[in-house]
Amino acid sequence: MDARPHKAHHASQSGAKAEKKKSAKGKEKQKGFNEKAFAPKSGRKADRLGRRNVERDQTRLHVPLVNRTPDDLPPPVIVAIVGPPGVGKTTLLKSLVRRYTKQTLNQPQGPITVVAGKKKRITFLECNNDLGSMVDVAKVADLILLMIDGSYGFEMETFEFLNILQSHGFPKVIGILSHLDLIKKAATLRATKKALKKRFWTEIYQGAKLFYLSGVLNGRYPDQEILNLSRFISVMKFRPLVFRNSHPYLLADRIEDLTPREEIRESKGKCDRIVTVYGYLRGTNLRLGTKVHIPGVGDLEMKSVSILGDPCPMPDADSEKRRKLSEKKKLLVHAPMSDVGGVIYDKDAVYINVPGSFTRGNADVPQGEGERMVMDLQDVNATLEDRVAKSQIKLFGTSLKPLVADPGPSRLSESASEDEDEDSEDEGFGSEMEEDDFDSDVEDDEEIDEDEEDEQGVIGRGVNTGRTAPRVVHRTPAGPSTSTTKQSKEVDYAESDSELGDDDFDNFDSSSRRIRFAGDDEDNLDLPDEDDDDGDDEDVPRWKSDLSGKASEAFKKSKTKKKDWIKLIYGSDLTPAQIIRGDDPQTSSTNEDDEDDIFTIKRLDVDGPSGETVDRTKEVLNEEELKQWEDEELLDSIRGLFITGSSGQGDADREGGDDGYEDLEGEDFEDLEAQEGSGDEQENVQDPEATKAAALAAKKEALKRKFDEQYDDPESSKQDFYEEKKEEINRQLELNRAEFEDVLDPEARALVEGYKAGSYVRIELTNVPCEMIEYFDPHFPIVVGGLLPAEERMGYVQVRIKRHRWFTKTLKTNDPLIFSLGWRRFQTVPIYSLDDHSIRMRMLKYTPEHMHCYATFYGPVSLPNTGFCAFNSFSSSASGFRISATGVVLDIDRSVKIVKKLKLTGVPFKIFKNTAFIKDMFNSALEVAKFEGANIRTVSGIRGQVKKALTKPEGAFRATFEDKILMSDIVFLRAWYTIQPRKFYNPVTTLLTSDKGAWQGMRLTGQVRLEQGVKTPLNVNSTYKKVERTPRRFNPLRIPKNLQASLPYASKPKLVKAQTRQTYLQKRAVVLEPEEKKAVALLQQIRALRKDQVARRKEKQNERKAKYKEKLEKEEAKKDEKDKEKRKEYMRAAGMKSKREAEKEEGRGSKRRRKD
Amino acid sequence: MSGTTSVLHFSGHQYLRHRLVLSILSGKPVRIDKIRSDDKNPGLRDYEVSLLRLLERITNGTIIEISVTGTAILLKPGIIVGGSITHECPVSRSIGYFLEPIIMLAPFSKKPLNLTLRGITSDEQDLSVDLIRTVTLPHLQLFGLSDELELRIKKRGSPPLGGGEIQFLCPVVKQVKTLNFVEPGRIKRIRGIAHAVRVSPQFSNRMIEASRSVLNRYIPDIYLYSDVYKGEDSGKSPGYALSLLAESTTGAIHCSEAVSKPSAAPEDIALLASRALLSEIKKGGCVDEKHQTLVLLMMVLGSEDVGRCRLGTPTERTIQFLRDVRDCFGTSFKIVPADSESSNELLFSCYGTGYVNANRSLA
Repeated sequence: MDARPHKAHHASQSGAKAEKKKSAKGKEKQKGFNEKAFAPKSGRKADRLGRRNVERDQTRLHVPLVNRTPDDLPPPVIVAIVGPPGVGKTTLLKSLVRRYTKQTLNQPQGPITVVAGKKKRITFLECNNDLGSMVDVAKVADLILLMIDGSYGFEMETFEFLNILQSHGFPKVIGILSHLDLIKKAATLRATKKALKKRFWTEIYQGAKLFYLSGVLNGRYPDQEILNLSRFISVMKFRPLVFRNSHPYLLADRIEDLTPREEIRESKGKCDRIVTVYGYLRGTNLRLGTKVHIPGVGDLEMKSVSILGDPCPMPDADSEKRRKLSEKKKLLVHAPMSDVGGVIYDKDAVYINVPGSFTRGNADVPQGEGERMVMDLQDVNATLEDRVAKSQIKLFGTSLKPLVADPGPSRLSESASEDEDEDSEDEGFGSEMEEDDFDSDVEDDEEIDEDEEDEQGVIGRGVNTGRTAPRVVHRTPAGPSTSTTKQSKEVDYAESDSELGDDDFDNFDSSSRRIRFAGDDEDNLDLPDEDDDDGDDEDVPRWKSDLSGKASEAFKKSKTKKKDWIKLIYGSDLTPAQIIRGDDPQTSSTNEDDEDDIFTIKRLDVDGPSGETVDRTKEVLNEEELKQWEDEELLDSIRGLFITGSSGQGDADREGGDDGYEDLEGEDFEDLEAQEGSGDEQENVQDPEATKAAALAAKKEALKRKFDEQYDDPESSKQDFYEEKKEEINRQLELNRAEFEDVLDPEARALVEGYKAGSYVRIELTNVPCEMIEYFDPHFPIVVGGLLPAEERMGYVQVRIKRHRWFTKTLKTNDPLIFSLGWRRFQTVPIYSLDDHSIRMRMLKYTPEHMHCYATFYGPVSLPNTGFCAFNSFSSSASGFRISATGVVLDIDRSVKIVKKLKLTGVPFKIFKNTAFIKDMFNSALEVAKFEGANIRTVSGIRGQVKKALTKPEGAFRATFEDKILMSDIVFLRAWYTIQPRKFYNPVTTLLTSDKGAWQGMRLTGQVRLEQGVKTPLNVNSTYKKVERTPRRFNPLRIPKNLQASLPYASKPKLVKAQTRQTYLQKRAVVLEPEEKKAVALLQQIRALRKDQVARRKEKQNERKAKYKEKLEKEEAKKDEKDKEKRKEYMRAAGMKSKREAEKEEGRGSKRRRKD
Repeated sequence: MSGTTSVLHFSGHQYLRHRLVLSILSGKPVRIDKIRSDDKNPGLRDYEVSLLRLLERITNGTIIEISVTGTAILLKPGIIVGGSITHECPVSRSIGYFLEPIIMLAPFSKKPLNLTLRGITSDEQDLSVDLIRTVTLPHLQLFGLSDELELRIKKRGSPPLGGGEIQFLCPVVKQVKTLNFVEPGRIKRIRGIAHAVRVSPQFSNRMIEASRSVLNRYIPDIYLYSDVYKGEDSGKSPGYALSLLAESTTGAIHCSEAVSKPSAAPEDIALLASRALLSEIKKGGCVDEKHQTLVLLMMVLGSEDVGRCRLGTPTERTIQFLRDVRDCFGTSFKIVPADSESSNELLFSCYGTGYVNANRSLA
């Protein structure tokens, strides 16, 4: 080869190639899809491509599901932040809240609701590291932000959480890698990201979104990254999950104890509490009268539900025109458990956080919600009575004169005290802080006459804030009847905003900012109107009174008497008979009293011969009454109800649906018009011809269209199944919305359709265990899950279960297991079983490996097809993977039939031909009688049957076999013994313990022994002993001579005696011939050679084998070395991580709550 | 904690059947007292006890406690299992009395029901098996139950001795469909069955003749079948009856029935039945008067959507049923006049409870 360097490339300047390039330069580069390039060349290919496209289209489709969440006012989306401790959850939460509301929370706790867009609200929720919390969060969250420490990798909790998600419906998940700044080397960073992404994708789905967050700036993540994340959150679409789409639920963002203080004092805090929880309803409509379950507490009864004003309302119509959310609306945040505006709502108190030094007169310090509240308290200088007496009511803010009511002092005070009652119900802390209660009351009044109050200046507001209206944060109206309070809550605070803008303390400012309630003054203005209407009939529930009003109106309008059926049926005490007869609800009560004794007598002659009303379906045919049908006129009057009939009052509204028979005649249409037309009869009479013609034309048009459609393309008129279903669902949803729209009264509406999802409600719960309040911790989410009627019951639940492949131990029948099923978490004792040839359910002692089996346990019923996961313990100290099994509910029943095999053994004590007497199997003749005819078998496989009990040895019986059995045979009877699961149900009450992670259910006997230090009792008979088996001796078979003689030769025993005499050959010596000798010698030599060859070959092979073995050993050693290195590396990383954590812990003090 | 469900409380012997049905469906225990406590012959009747026994057999885990005097019962419902069951009905009531509540329960059982009932097949008080077969079962079809839903009349039995036998087959559903039935349509056909047992077979023809004399004026599409059972299959007592049904263009069915009485000619019975049918048609609505409760119950048990149905004036039974439904399921109906002009038709609408057949097994 010559070392000459290659010639450098020169682009050709002339020639065909240069020409081609030049011409290509002129064309602009084609962008995007080149159709020509991908056009199929052959028909086959085209066909395949077409098929593939269609298949791909089909994968896009999902089973159409009804979304029960209302479109117009959906509840906030729950976004839960989940991850191991120290991964940066709180930082992310703070950053996100800051992004949406421009406020910095110091101590975010509990759910935080923010307005995220024009039609979107988000509730953020941080999930702590407790397994119970993770389970609860998995059940309610719509979107999970799963945080992973990028510098460390996945931790066990992450996988546990993902598996919990899987069994409870799998909401959307976005992965977030944090602590990526700790990885210094770019290459390592890239590799780590790639590895984690790969693992994440296998766990969720290929292409799942994974976010990367770099370092922390000012205690927050970089703004740009958070912005990107928030964009991803905002475009997220949610598919309804089946379980949540059939249950109402609520994530409590506030909880209050309403128990009278005196009761608590008397019982030393141990009495059952009355508790209210607040939150947005989600899922289906909540109905009063059903039970709710709070995971970690138990099943509770709802005493009342009331719809409150939305504390974090969506932007309303005025801002609708804008494309983006206005900046003002962005400030809305509702987080009662956190420190928004320096106020924290605890279960029974309100804490006011005062930043820095605070004095009353100091106007420079911006005042938060709390300070204002306290100062207002201090400012009160008149008693309630005085205030009420002075107060005036103006209908509108602009009205000059206040309303002058008849100054009935008693009435006033009464209403005031009523008001007070309501308030004290509204605000749990009110019962503790009496002054506060009083104050709020005062404020109530103040709001009624806002302007008035300002003029009067009765109460100087310590500092002039430039605001005209006082603020009440915590209060939300307790229903429609308290719309005055509603007004107060919906005051818009535009002014205060500008005031805050003046101050230059950015950080300080935002920390002391308040919760904002949007609302329109315009809206509120017309509220008092309604109020006054209410005031007239306060005693009657509003909807009822309304109805009566309507009813009376209707009565006046039409001569024909119309009944208000809803009121008569649901609202009155009239008997059905009275309703039918049309008794007046007012007079009936007196009537009834009068008739009371006549009543029975009357019945006697009305009803059957037995003299009682009979429960019958068919009414008695009254011949006299039916005689009227002899009348021709009456007979003709209903002709219109038949398709052949043409006239009559009924047909105008009855013609829908029948296309085939309908013959449209002029009169018919005239009639219809007459009904619809509002009184201009003349016009109709004038041109019946015209209407007739028009109707005919319309009909012809419709027919033509139909024909065209069918003729042109019979396929196009048909929709495909998917579209059809979707349309059907939409139609039904539309109907649902429209049907009750005219029922204006929310209470009446709640009665018929329940409380709608999306509304902010207050649920009052009774008989709540006191521990829930005592050990309340805002870090643990409180989920209120509605139960279906079927789920309130208990029963045996059969599930399909599979031990989790990462759980190290096998599960044993009758060992307690904690299930998370439906809303509930409970400990119960399952029995595992497998279907044995579809004949019986056979008990399994242990769960099988890598296989599903059945489990049956006693517990609360859940609908079939509900998923669950199971745990052996909830404690964080448990090592390894804590989810022990997953599965799905199959069947609910009140009894179960699971059997286990039972072998009864006996021994023969007398043997006849094929019959034998067996003893030691049963104890009495009665037992034998029970098993007569049962199949039995010997160990050697001879089958038989139990015949009859014997008298002498008790429990012995006669049995027949297919062959003669031996005395040494053991006879056994295979039977099936039914076992019942133990009725053990122990709800996991983690929220009722002070240390939530330390809840402990029933323990295993072994655990109890270990903890108590008790030795396992040893049964002597259970110990293993050496088995001694004497060798069996078999006697030789002897066949009687007579028998032998008569046997055919083939069956005769061929017993030949060994020959004693020498044979002919043995007697003689053989002398070989010389050639023979030679031949033998040669053969011998050849054999010797061969032997030697084989020996040498073997030796060589052994040598080779030894070499190979040596090589193998060497490799093995190398591998070991490598392994050791790897382990070392891993441990080093783990050590580093724990060290870092420890350092952090020192640095941030009490922030971390890792339990170990 | 969850074991203490509240007990529903009713009193009086009236409406016993639907109360028991509601209790079993809702799973709430029910206590009914003052059952004929003021009567000369207090307590439960034999047919009521028989009904309780039947309910106990088609359910699993039901506990029924009857007080010593028989004037109070406590029913703790179990789950509905179904399966194949045979039951002897006492001759004091017809099979219809037992079949009506069973039809309400059967779709929600664990296994498809195969029920054989023996007794009287038609009497004056309850729906005859003919009506149940031709009218009640089509009403269930409105809610998505159609396959394998069948009633076979094996033998007929007239009062007083009975001796009839029927077989009722009912499939299992997961959830019933939401009903939206507001167009009554116009009557397009009339069908009827005239049966006669242990009397002259001419009786059924005579009934048909008489009935046609009334109905022929309205519509030509009238088929009245003569159904004569002979020998073993005709039961123990003589009797005859005519059951009529009128079907509208939208599938609304109205029905009537008249049963033989001593000293009444077949023609009179036929006239009675035909006129009752006319008055039933005149009452209007999409659902027959006798089937109001069935339809309303299925509406309540529908998915969590709004169901609507147009009915005539509610009967006493219906009114009490609506009240009891509110107690059991917490659901009330919105009842408004169907349109401003017609006087007695009402539009019933309710929000379904989303009742899912929890008994259905997947295994």
